[in-house]
Amino acid sequence: MKRYAALYWYFLLQRFKILMEYRVNFLIGASSTVILQIAGLLTIWVIMSQVPNLNGWNLNEILLVYGLLTLSKSITHMFADNLWTIGQDYIRSGDFDRFLVRPIDPLFHLLADRFCHDGIGNFLIGAGLVAVSTAALGIAWTPLNLLYVVIAVASGGAIFIALNLITATSAFWIVQSIPVTQIIFNTHEFAKYPLTIYPRAIGLLMTWLIPYGFASFYPASYILGRDVGALAWMGPIVAVVLLVVGYRVWLFGLRHYASTGS
Amino acid sequence: MIQSLRRQAKIYGAIAAMVPKEYSAYSIWVWMQFIVQILSMMIFVYFWRAVYADTRTLGGLDLQQTINYILLAQILMPIVETRLIFQFGFMVRNGGVAVELLRPLDFQGRFFIENLAGLGVFAIEKLPLLLVAVVFFGLQLPTDPLVWIVFLISLTLGASILFLFDWIFASLAFYSTETWGLSVVRIGVATFFSGALVPLTMMPTWLQDVAAALPFAQTIFVPVSFLSGITPIANALQVWLVQLAWLAGRLVLSGWVFRRGVREVTVQGG
Repeated sequence: MKRYAALYWYFLLQRFKILMEYRVNFLIGASSTVILQIAGLLTIWVIMSQVPNLNGWNLNEILLVYGLLTLSKSITHMFADNLWTIGQDYIRSGDFDRFLVRPIDPLFHLLADRFCHDGIGNFLIGAGLVAVSTAALGIAWTPLNLLYVVIAVASGGAIFIALNLITATSAFWIVQSIPVTQIIFNTHEFAKYPLTIYPRAIGLLMTWLIPYGFASFYPASYILGRDVGALAWMGPIVAVVLLVVGYRVWLFGLRHYASTGS
Repeated sequence: MIQSLRRQAKIYGAIAAMVPKEYSAYSIWVWMQFIVQILSMMIFVYFWRAVYADTRTLGGLDLQQTINYILLAQILMPIVETRLIFQFGFMVRNGGVAVELLRPLDFQGRFFIENLAGLGVFAIEKLPLLLVAVVFFGLQLPTDPLVWIVFLISLTLGASILFLFDWIFASLAFYSTETWGLSVVRIGVATFFSGALVPLTMMPTWLQDVAAALPFAQTIFVPVSFLSGITPIANALQVWLVQLAWLAGRLVLSGWVFRRGVREVTVQGG
């Protein structure tokens, strides 16, 4: 564990050296996602400033849901972006074979290979949204609340990573896995809003099958004092279970990996 | 004269015929976009229903009009995601631009035809999505064929305006290699101000002013307003004239920018 932490740090340092070679690109990359977020946020603001509430949730409460989701999403974006491109950048080129002959876990190597700075902008936007919305709603930042949010975001991030890991594993068979990942990943958009606006089936889907609800709706409900029962506390359990399942699926895929031979 | 025209038509026809082939080579991506768009239509429909739970009209539109508008705008949204700047950036990087410029063919004309053919393929490809929207999401389409004709003309004009804007924008690739960041900014601005996410009529005045000053609304908001019954077709002529004015302005500007920009090209080997 200690060895891996040291290794990760070393990878990160190397990555930043590369990024700092192209400072302008670094800044544009890190801030470009902000522009996309602003478009989405302006949309919510335009609509919510004209209606009193959305299914009983006001603008600030919606922003809290949105902010928590953005924070969780930024975790995958920063630390696991290579899961998107494993097929086209590593397997197709044969570069993936390089990971298999090294004395470290191939999955660790894949993830550590590229810290993605584009996620930093999303992280800042998410943190800003959570800070602004909770301040406007008069929610006190007790140590317990803070700990809860940190754990919720970490769990949400883990759920994002685990789902991407499962879909990325398809690359071992079909090489280009982005379309598969994209379809499952895009369902996180449901969790941008309170799950109560959807029919029950979608709520159940977002809780038990593709559990992005734990990255936004359930923790937001808890912070806002809305009763969601035990689901307010289940995020970390769901995250761990999903990570274990994801890693199993990954190992299964790895066993079936036949190099492209290039 | 006629001979040369026929020759031209043949060349451009061949270019246009390439486009559907290119599309079908990437069928898995077409499927992906199909499913992703259905997901986002679903989210939008439930979202807007919740928005209208306590109110009858918003920005002068009722729920059905808004649903019509949003579903159509969602279907058309991929139009505003351009590839032109990537193509330019790629051509500059690998040196292909030198070959392209040497071809005995109008450089801009070639890309324009490709773009229009792409729009045609796009329209056909989106028909299943339109069907899904009608059957499952309560999209109500006009039955008057005249509305459809007005819409299609307006959409073609809008797509041409966007093409010329992108031509100007893509010429930046001759100056800067940071095409990815530029295009992300361009997509963010275009998505919002085209009215793909929220009807422009719902925006506060200052945002509507910004949208009116940018060309993107001509591609989504203006044509979709005809089809969703927001703009009556009696206004068609007036709207077309405005679009033609945009088109003429962009045409002059794009030629000028390109001629200047292309002088700056430093082809990096290849």
